[in-house]
Amino acid sequence: MEIYIHAKHVLNKFLKALLFLIIPFSALAQQKDVPVINSRIEGTVVDSVSKQPIAGVTLRIKNVTHEVTTGSNGHFTFVTGQKLPYTLVVSFIGYKTKEVVANGSPVNIQLAENIAQLNDVVVVGYGTQKKSDLTGAIGSVPKNILNQPAASFDNLLQGAVSGVAVTQNSGQPGSSATIRVRGGNSISFGNAPLYVIDGFIIYNDNDYANVGSNGTSVNALSTINPSDIESIEVLKDASATAIYGSHGANGVVIITTKKGKKGTNNVNFSSYFGDQTIAKKLDLLDASQWGSLVNDINLSDGVAPTYTPAQLAALGTGSNWQNAALRNAPEYNGELSISGGDEKSRYLISGNYFDQQGTILNTGFKRYSARVNYEKNVTDKFKISTNVFGSQSIENKLVGSAYNSINFSNAFATLLLTPPTSPITNPDGSYYTNSPYIATPTNPLQDITATTNTTTLTRVLGNVAGEYKILPDLTLKVTAGVDILNTVQDYYAPSNTSGGYADQGYASIGNGNELSWLNENTLTYDHAFNNTNFLNILAGYTTQYTRFSSSTASAQKFPNDLTSYNNLSYAGVANLPTSSFASQALDSYLARVNYSYLHIYNLTVSARADGSSKLGANNKWGYFPSAGFSWNIDKNDFFKPLAQDISSLKLRVSAGQTGNSEVPPYSSLAALAPTNYYFGSKLVTGISPVQIDNPNLKWETTTQYDAGLDLGLFNNRVNLTFDAYYKKTTDLLLNVPLPLYSGYASELENVGSVENKGIELGINTDNVKTDHFSWKTNIEFAENRNKVLSLGPGVSSYFPVAPTGQVSPVIVQVGLPVGTFWGYSTQGLLTAADIAKGVPLLNGVPQKVGDTRYVDNNHDGVITTADKHSLGSAQPKFTGSITNTFSYNQFDLSVFFQGSYGNKIFNLLQQTLERPTLTQNASATLLNRWSPTNPNGTVARATDSPVPQVTDRYVENGSYLKLKNASLGYTFTNNLASKIGAKKLRIYVSGQNLLTITKYSGLDPEVNFYDNDNTKQGIDYGTYPAVRTFLAGVDVTF
Amino acid sequence: MKNISPYKIILLLTGSVVGLTSCNKLSEDPKSVIVSSQFYQTTSDATSAVNAVYSTLNSDPAGDFPLYGRQLNLLVENASDNQLYSPSNTNPDVRALGTETYISANSRVQKVWQQLYYGINRANIAIDNVPTIQMDTTLRARLVRESKFIRALLYFDLVRLYGDVPLVLHNPNSTNIDNLLTARTPAADVYTQIIADLEDATNLPKSYSSTDLGRATSGAAHTLLAKVYLTQQDWPDALTQLNLVINGGYGYALFPNYYDAFQKATKNGVEHIFSVQFETNLGEANSTQYLSESFTSFNTGTFPIDIPVDTSLYNLFSANDTRRSVTFYNTVYNAATGQNVVYNNAYTPYFNKFVDYSLSPLSSQSLSGVNYPVLRYADVLLMKAEALNEINGGPTSDAYTAINQVRTRAQIANLTPGLNQAAFRDSIFLERRKEFIQEGHRWFDLVRQGGTVLVDALHKISAKSAATSKNTLFPIPLVEIQQNAKLKQNPGYN
Repeated sequence: MEIYIHAKHVLNKFLKALLFLIIPFSALAQQKDVPVINSRIEGTVVDSVSKQPIAGVTLRIKNVTHEVTTGSNGHFTFVTGQKLPYTLVVSFIGYKTKEVVANGSPVNIQLAENIAQLNDVVVVGYGTQKKSDLTGAIGSVPKNILNQPAASFDNLLQGAVSGVAVTQNSGQPGSSATIRVRGGNSISFGNAPLYVIDGFIIYNDNDYANVGSNGTSVNALSTINPSDIESIEVLKDASATAIYGSHGANGVVIITTKKGKKGTNNVNFSSYFGDQTIAKKLDLLDASQWGSLVNDINLSDGVAPTYTPAQLAALGTGSNWQNAALRNAPEYNGELSISGGDEKSRYLISGNYFDQQGTILNTGFKRYSARVNYEKNVTDKFKISTNVFGSQSIENKLVGSAYNSINFSNAFATLLLTPPTSPITNPDGSYYTNSPYIATPTNPLQDITATTNTTTLTRVLGNVAGEYKILPDLTLKVTAGVDILNTVQDYYAPSNTSGGYADQGYASIGNGNELSWLNENTLTYDHAFNNTNFLNILAGYTTQYTRFSSSTASAQKFPNDLTSYNNLSYAGVANLPTSSFASQALDSYLARVNYSYLHIYNLTVSARADGSSKLGANNKWGYFPSAGFSWNIDKNDFFKPLAQDISSLKLRVSAGQTGNSEVPPYSSLAALAPTNYYFGSKLVTGISPVQIDNPNLKWETTTQYDAGLDLGLFNNRVNLTFDAYYKKTTDLLLNVPLPLYSGYASELENVGSVENKGIELGINTDNVKTDHFSWKTNIEFAENRNKVLSLGPGVSSYFPVAPTGQVSPVIVQVGLPVGTFWGYSTQGLLTAADIAKGVPLLNGVPQKVGDTRYVDNNHDGVITTADKHSLGSAQPKFTGSITNTFSYNQFDLSVFFQGSYGNKIFNLLQQTLERPTLTQNASATLLNRWSPTNPNGTVARATDSPVPQVTDRYVENGSYLKLKNASLGYTFTNNLASKIGAKKLRIYVSGQNLLTITKYSGLDPEVNFYDNDNTKQGIDYGTYPAVRTFLAGVDVTF
Repeated sequence: MKNISPYKIILLLTGSVVGLTSCNKLSEDPKSVIVSSQFYQTTSDATSAVNAVYSTLNSDPAGDFPLYGRQLNLLVENASDNQLYSPSNTNPDVRALGTETYISANSRVQKVWQQLYYGINRANIAIDNVPTIQMDTTLRARLVRESKFIRALLYFDLVRLYGDVPLVLHNPNSTNIDNLLTARTPAADVYTQIIADLEDATNLPKSYSSTDLGRATSGAAHTLLAKVYLTQQDWPDALTQLNLVINGGYGYALFPNYYDAFQKATKNGVEHIFSVQFETNLGEANSTQYLSESFTSFNTGTFPIDIPVDTSLYNLFSANDTRRSVTFYNTVYNAATGQNVVYNNAYTPYFNKFVDYSLSPLSSQSLSGVNYPVLRYADVLLMKAEALNEINGGPTSDAYTAINQVRTRAQIANLTPGLNQAAFRDSIFLERRKEFIQEGHRWFDLVRQGGTVLVDALHKISAKSAATSKNTLFPIPLVEIQQNAKLKQNPGYN
């Protein structure tokens, strides 16, 4: 019966929410109460920040016992014999008690949260801890950033927590981001942080979402609905992360989803519409400009010019391929959640639909998701809870070759390189396919629009937990969870596209199935001795198993394009299918002791033992200890005189070891692989070793030291957190080069070391705080220095594998940051005087006046590859963000700037666009090329297809400052909101990526063509352009 | 619900722990990967192990272009006087080979070294492991000898390209990996090993059934052995081996048409003694012919392969030499339009031998099924003429017969009679150059003549003026020198 009434109540609210959708802002009739004797006032109590009504608030007339409490909508009615005016004392747990003078209805009261109490408890690994007792470095994503619209939650980490560097790899909707906590520790494997979602451990591996795919990597994290997230904590130092052992070295991101709250029944609907535009386009040559470039190339070849002056003029501007592929694209998000709770149970049910079209034709991202969180106190001692989440996301990707392929291509870059003299369409509107510059009779725009390249990810993540208090101080907790990620990738290139022409239609399908289950069992003992000594002991055993299997099938020679990938049996030729299977297991024992003396002196000691199946037979188990100490100086008696100005002061120090074992399964075994040959024109299979066994293979160890200071000034109106750290990662999992005459290129060994050191600063200030107006500022700043200390005996450097036909633009060298750009310095162009003087020239290339002048770095009189040197790295010198939030009565405004300084970008696209050829379009910078008629030109003269060189011209300054987000909101007063039956109603407009200040000449300084590859960060080869978004939304709670 | 016994709850919770955790084991049982301890057990394993040896000739484990079909030609053809570079040549390391400015860090010089040793390693593994397998002893002996043939072929390439090289005869593993750093073995010792392997390989079958066509034969072993002796200027031993090939009942002969030596339909034919196999591998895996990509499109505005002909080469041929139109093209019939497309620019004519005209569309040339001929009967005849000329202080009538067989097939006149030894020698090398374009002979033929022959030939092309005497050997790859102090560099390189 109780359930029935409850359900009816919720249904009622739900219907109201639906009604709200249909008739926005329509006022519902409000019932008046019957008047009663003496004074009578009514009003509401709301949260001073969120403007959410608060239920259960006690209102008492000062010095009188008579009191009332607010209802679920925060409303109260006070009927009393007292005469107005009188003073109300308003109090509620977690809020500062307030006295209000009541003169008459309505009395609207704003309660401010008791910050000290609210921040009392933070989420840490396998539990929570009083903030004052913390010894580790933990950062939380601020609420205002968490509330920003985003496709995926990893976007929200950017600039949110100092020491967490996030780079959006491309503008492709649904694409991945590169995330580094306090710099990258590893060179070859695993630099991304560990994610813990409601206690479930996910080491995000985008490979699980890329099975035989085409184009940029799919972001498996985008399956999670960011609006479900209540809080994100980032564990940074060893004291906090060592409890995660062999997974902890790269930092831990703890995500807690929203839960129902006791005493509430809320139906929340939120939605926004956005319009995305291209933030920047590249300047390219138009048709007549390109024709003139072709003539200049002819001149240098000593042949007659292709175009006469009259023909040049007739070429006009020609085709703008870039514009033809781009569009303004809408974005929509809709979200409905129902949450609530009573004395014994709490629940939240949510659904989400997100649809973001891409600004390049035929691309986009959609997500459908649903969540149920439920918690029940079965008895006083026994509690059960479950979190279940399911989603399906569908990404239409820009066509290109596989993101980790050594031979890459990208349909957008191809488009930019198409000469403007080629028409885009025929007069009848069909695509023009007779360009003399394209090898097959196809059209690069048609390649984008006609090719299907879809990834569908279906994820179910669920866990159940049982918690039992064996003794008042001793709790046993058992959880079991499962994460299932299913990937389907469909690809079809019709015969009229360059990808399908030679194959007469090419279709492929890929299926991937990942399953991971986790069981965690912990015992927690929590006891206070005489309110003096506080002890918390955690011990546990956990075990996790993950398996991944995949299969791909492809076929070609289709009689027509009707069935594409849906029925491969129409194909004339079936290609060899593939399948794979890999499994891994991790067994762990963990323990932690937190001890605090009077909450003044705090000590945390933790240890974890991890056994991983992936490591060598002799080294399956690793041990990861840590210790942290903190001192709340302000709580000492001697500090009292200073308490006026310094409201809190805390010192923290910690040291510990964490690990990284993110190698693929079977890496330590002497594996054999198949190859093929032909005898009698028939295929035969050969099998031979591809890897030398290494039974000693073990995890990488990161030893980290951290010292921190938390300072609160002027009654905590200024809060400052400062950390300095040093990390050294040893036993790197590195593919150590072997002598090539061994028959192997490398062996996976544990050699070499990398260091990261840096400082972090976070400042929160309450600049202005009045009843009507408040202004808060949040500043995050981080500086990290990364350096390769050793690459093992006899190895001082190596070049990561470059795409075929290219020279590696990066080097990994001892003494330099991982992934340093490596190339020539240049010094303008060669002049006749230079040639006469006999300045060093590029070896093997006949250099003339107007060619690039390279710097002879080693002074040997000739320019060879020995003159290449470090040109900087993609790692920033510092990163930072500044957020200002203002509220004025019902208005709120937040402005979020984020930036990066000192990072370099290798602009491979610009290098390609500045290479004059007779077949490809070029950058508008070539308008200023040197020529006999333009002797002051600053760009090298036009020659036919010079060898592209990695030079300082293309290693550009990637520093930037972005206005990432500005949003203006209006929260309706309770009176207005209640007219439509709502407890809360907020509308807002927001702009994302509004302004970028940078010297970088490419589309966007946030770029990673090679995705998460740690050695190839900051390379731009025409990735998907970044967008600017304007959106408007509404958020209503019933 | 309030009456739940606490013990039941504890039991329930701990029970679920035990139930779940008993599943996890930390030892790996790879279901999708074969591990060496599971392998080398059966006849099928032995065959697969040897197939893998052959596959190193036409594919690269890292997905790069194959040794035969691209990489070897970069050194032996592009760094000779046959080839230059085109606008599609964007890799500075490839261009450095064409302009004789390559250094020890050159990635292609390194790749060839790596691919040769990769194949040698696979051969070593087969030679060490196959004899331990319980199987038909005849087949077992044959498989080992096939592997020895490939090992000898690859060491022969190595020793000619790089000089003294480390002689590695066994597969490294985790127990001996630290003993890998060795010095260069004198070339003479490498040759001793090559000859020993080839002598064993002469016990291979003379021929195979149709399903095994393409395997190494005793004829291939004798021919390669002759080439080894010829390179060492051991003329009598070379002649002995060549006579065994010619008179040994193998039935080798020249195709009546030069054209047939480079066709998919006539592969493994009467003239082919040993070829690296390529197939139009529709739907199947691996092996990419790249030399065939000298045709890529009917669009004359795009440039095909990056290492085009040096025009002086085309001009060597007389118009009636049938080899000219087989070796080069400048006109291709476009079936889609019914028209002939004529290519005419600074880089034409284009190479033709590996273009597979049976493909549709013709632009799918990576699927070319034209084999790469490593040993051809024309080579046997020209080697015989050369050996006779050297043994007898001048050409014998047998020497003339041999060279004229090759010339007659090309439909050109017999060689001028009565040449002295030097003039005959020059004629042979000119004939070899014209006969074997793109077949991986030219640089070797220039170098083995000794003296300044290579440098003089290169200096005839202005873009190759950087050539010096150091170019008679390629540098040991820099990465090898850097991690192994025992390896010393070749003269003239750093």
